[in-house]
Amino acid sequence: MQFQTRSTSDEVEVRLNGRLEFTDHDRLSDIVGLLDGQRARRFTIDLSGLEFLDSAGLGMLLILQEEAEQRNIKLTVRGPQGDVKRSIDLARIGEIITIEP
Amino acid sequence: MEPASPHLRPFCVMWTRVPDETRARIAARFAMPGFELSGFEPADPAALPSWADALLLEQADRDRLREAFDRNPFLTVELGEGGDEPAALREDWTGAPAVEPGFYLSLTTGTAYGLQCAVLVCDELARRGGLRADQRSNVELCLHEAIANAIVHGNLGLSSATKNQPDGYRLFGQMLRDRLEDPAIKRRRIDIFCRWNAATVAIAVVDQGGGFDSGAAPAAVGGKARSGRGFVFMRALASRVAVTDGGRCTVLHFDL
Repeated sequence: MQFQTRSTSDEVEVRLNGRLEFTDHDRLSDIVGLLDGQRARRFTIDLSGLEFLDSAGLGMLLILQEEAEQRNIKLTVRGPQGDVKRSIDLARIGEIITIEP
Repeated sequence: MEPASPHLRPFCVMWTRVPDETRARIAARFAMPGFELSGFEPADPAALPSWADALLLEQADRDRLREAFDRNPFLTVELGEGGDEPAALREDWTGAPAVEPGFYLSLTTGTAYGLQCAVLVCDELARRGGLRADQRSNVELCLHEAIANAIVHGNLGLSSATKNQPDGYRLFGQMLRDRLEDPAIKRRRIDIFCRWNAATVAIAVVDQGGGFDSGAAPAAVGGKARSGRGFVFMRALASRVAVTDGGRCTVLHFDL
């Protein structure tokens, strides 16, 4: 998985590409680090470029949600497509995290 | 088979001369409960060829595996650094019937981690006519989850409970790195067995870890649980899921 970051005054957007899976735990630490030192109150994870999401990757999204909550930052997941959307729907993650089309 | 690249060692191996450990794994897995397929009942041993196409790889990577698969071996075995000795192939074998169509892949954990084995295996299943395009996505996700479990919870011996501690994901990541640096752990095997017929495709994923209580695998995971959804995916998308060998083997069936 690779990611790019874009920041504005009120939002940090992280765009994920490739596959988010059990071999990506180290990248999770990097993304959690983006929650610190930001004045923005909104944190958006853009999945529109992601091709594959496994159960471990879903767990990472939940960890990001908890880490954002602890910092009083609103986390939103945006744009899951195809197989990634299937994983999110199967796990009913939308009941916990705000998912935007 | 055609002459191979230097890193591939193709040969026809007599079933009576496959190393005991490998033969036992093949024989046990292809005959295991839940892995039999109708139309593949044990054949008359006298009618079976006494040999099988096999390929040994000193060290596997994605390109070498694809090159190996292109030669249509039944057995594809990565020897791995410090692992099985090639000389072991000349030791006694007790014979195991060849099953067709099907294939067997044995990798070390150090190689399987990060190799996206499910993609490779599904590519090969599709290439050999064992997987329809419209089933590919679900089969690949289920196989990926089974392999991930076999690597992380099986051979690396890591529990997802670690992630639920404060800052647990960092600890989990560190433990994962540490175990992948342990030569003895890296050499543990992930075996993947595939066979299919007109009605179904069956895939078994076997590890050499400590096993687990399959009855404790959740049928559903809700709320904010950070783990446990792999089996939920498999049970939702596969036609049948069986866990045997004390949790060391997961067999997935997909009806065609």
